[in-house]
Amino acid sequence: MTSKGSTPYLSWRVWAVYVALMLVGVPWYWPAGDDTVLGGLPAWVVVAVLASALTSIYTAILLRRRWPGEAGDS
Amino acid sequence: MKKELLPFGPGAWILVAAYLAALVVIGWRSYRLRRAEDLEDFYLGGRGLGFFVLVLTLYSTQYSGNTLLGFSGKAYRVGFSWVMSLHFMTAIIVCYLLLAPRLYARARSRGYVTPADFLQDRFGSRVLTVLASLVMVVALGNYLLAQLVAMGKAVEGLTGGESPEAYAWGVVGLALVIAVYETLGGLRAVAWTDVLQGLVLLTGFSILLALVFQRFGTPAETTARLLASSEWREKATPPNASIIREWFSYIFVVGIGASLYPQAVQRIFAARSPTVLRRSLAVMVFLPLVTTTIVVLLGVTAIVHVGALDGAASDRLLTMVCRTIQESSDLGYWLVVVIFAAILAAIMSTADSALLSLSSMLTGDVYRRLFAPSASQERLTRAGKALSWAVLAALVALSIPARDSTLVKIIDRKFDLLVQLAPAFFIGLHWPRLRAAAVLAGLIAGIAVAVALPAAGYPKLHGVHPGLYGLAINAGVAVIVSLARRPRRDS
Repeated sequence: MTSKGSTPYLSWRVWAVYVALMLVGVPWYWPAGDDTVLGGLPAWVVVAVLASALTSIYTAILLRRRWPGEAGDS
Repeated sequence: MKKELLPFGPGAWILVAAYLAALVVIGWRSYRLRRAEDLEDFYLGGRGLGFFVLVLTLYSTQYSGNTLLGFSGKAYRVGFSWVMSLHFMTAIIVCYLLLAPRLYARARSRGYVTPADFLQDRFGSRVLTVLASLVMVVALGNYLLAQLVAMGKAVEGLTGGESPEAYAWGVVGLALVIAVYETLGGLRAVAWTDVLQGLVLLTGFSILLALVFQRFGTPAETTARLLASSEWREKATPPNASIIREWFSYIFVVGIGASLYPQAVQRIFAARSPTVLRRSLAVMVFLPLVTTTIVVLLGVTAIVHVGALDGAASDRLLTMVCRTIQESSDLGYWLVVVIFAAILAAIMSTADSALLSLSSMLTGDVYRRLFAPSASQERLTRAGKALSWAVLAALVALSIPARDSTLVKIIDRKFDLLVQLAPAFFIGLHWPRLRAAAVLAGLIAGIAVAVALPAAGYPKLHGVHPGLYGLAINAGVAVIVSLARRPRRDS
C-alpha cells in the first residue's frame, strides 16, 4: 500500500465541503407547500440544481491536482 | 396524445440500418487493429484509451436506456423531486476521487484486468474474490437485463402500441448486433462505438430539449400550470420527509454503487495515463447537468401534456412525446429519427459495456480461477467470446417475460448489491489494516441484509435503500473485526 500522503483527496476539509453542498442541495429545509418561483422554476429546484453545479465545479477544481505517479505524464 | 410513433418510412429505416451497420464496421476495424490475443487487449483495449474516447465511453456507458426512458418516466410520476437524479449522477464522479487515483496506479503496476484482480491482489483470499465476483456478475446481469428490456420497449414504441412481438424482435435483433461487434473487437470496439453513440446521444439530447420547449412550452409555463392545479401541485412543491430520505439514500446508493460498476472500474484500468483519466473525470462531472436535467424537465413537462400513465407504461413516455413532434412537420419526423437513434445509442452503449465486463469476470475471475488456472491467453480470450454469446442468449430469454417491469425497479436491486463491495474497495485501498476475513464477514452480512429486506416486503425501509442498511453493517463488521485482530507486520 502507498502512504496516506499519496492520495490527494483524503482531507476531511474536502469532504466537509461536499457534505455542506449536499445539505444545501437536498431540499429538506424548505417549508411544505412552498410555491416560490425563481426564473420560472420552483425555487427549491433552482437551489438543488445550483448546488449540483457547484459540486461539479468544486470536483473539477480538485481534479486539477496531479495524481501520484503522474509527474511528467502529461 | 397518441401512444405510439408514426411508423418509420423506408428512408428512416435505412438510416437506422446504416447506423447499426456502422457499429459492426467499427467492430471489424477494431478486430483488425488488435495487438494481441490476450485478455488485456480484448477487455482493456491494450490500456490505451485516450481522453476523447475515454470521456465518450464513460459518458455513453453511464447514461443508459434507463436515463432516457426510466428517468423521464420517473420524473413524470414523481415530478420535480426527481431532480435528485442530478445529485446522484454527480455523486458517482465524486466517489471516484477516493477510488480512481490509487486503483489506477495499482492496476497499472500489477496488471489488473477485472475489479476482482484487485481484491485477489489486495486480500489474497480466493473465497472473497469469488464471492465478490458473483456479486458483480449478478448485479451486472441485472443491469444488462434492464438494457435489453429498454431495447425492446424502444422498438415496440416504433411499431405501434402494445406489441410483445415487436418487443421480442427488438431485443433479439439489437442483442445480435452488439454480440457481433463486441466479439470482433472487445473493449476497443465497444469504446469506439461508444464515441459514435455518445455523439449521437449528445445530439439527440440537444434536439430533444429544443423541440420539447418549442412544442410544449417553457419550463416556466409548465411550473405555473403544475402549481395552479390541485391534482399536480405536489409535483412542484418541496418534497415530503419520506422523499427527502429517499433523496439522500439515492445519493449514497447510486454514488457508491455506480462508481463500483465493473465496466466503469475497467475503464479506469483502460485509461492511457493518469492525466487522461483525471481530465476525463473533470469533464464527466458536468455531464449530469446537461443530460439528467434535460430528462427531468422532459418528464415534468409531460405531466401537463400527457394523459394518465402508470407503472411500466410511463417508461414509454419519451416515445409518446416523440410522436407529437413527428406529427408537427417533415423536419419533426426526421428529428425524431435522430432522437430514436440516440435512444438506441444510449441503450446499446450501456448494454455492450455491461456484457463485455460480465464476460471478462466470468472468464478471468470464475473460469480461469476455478477451472483453468493454466490456460493460455488465447484460450481464455476465446472462452470469453463464447461466454459473451451464452450470457447474452440467457438474458435475452429472461428479458421477454420482464417486459412489464418498470426500468427503475429493475435497476434498484443492482445497487443494493454493488454497494456491499464498498468496504473492500474504498477502505481496502486506503487502510492497510483491513483484513480479508473481516471484509468477507462484512460482505456476507451486508448481502444478507440487502437481500432479506426486499424479500421481507421492504423494497425501501423508511425511504432508505436496503443496500445502505447492509452497507452500514458490512462496513462496521469489516472495520471492527480488522481492529480486533493484531496488525500484520507487512502492513
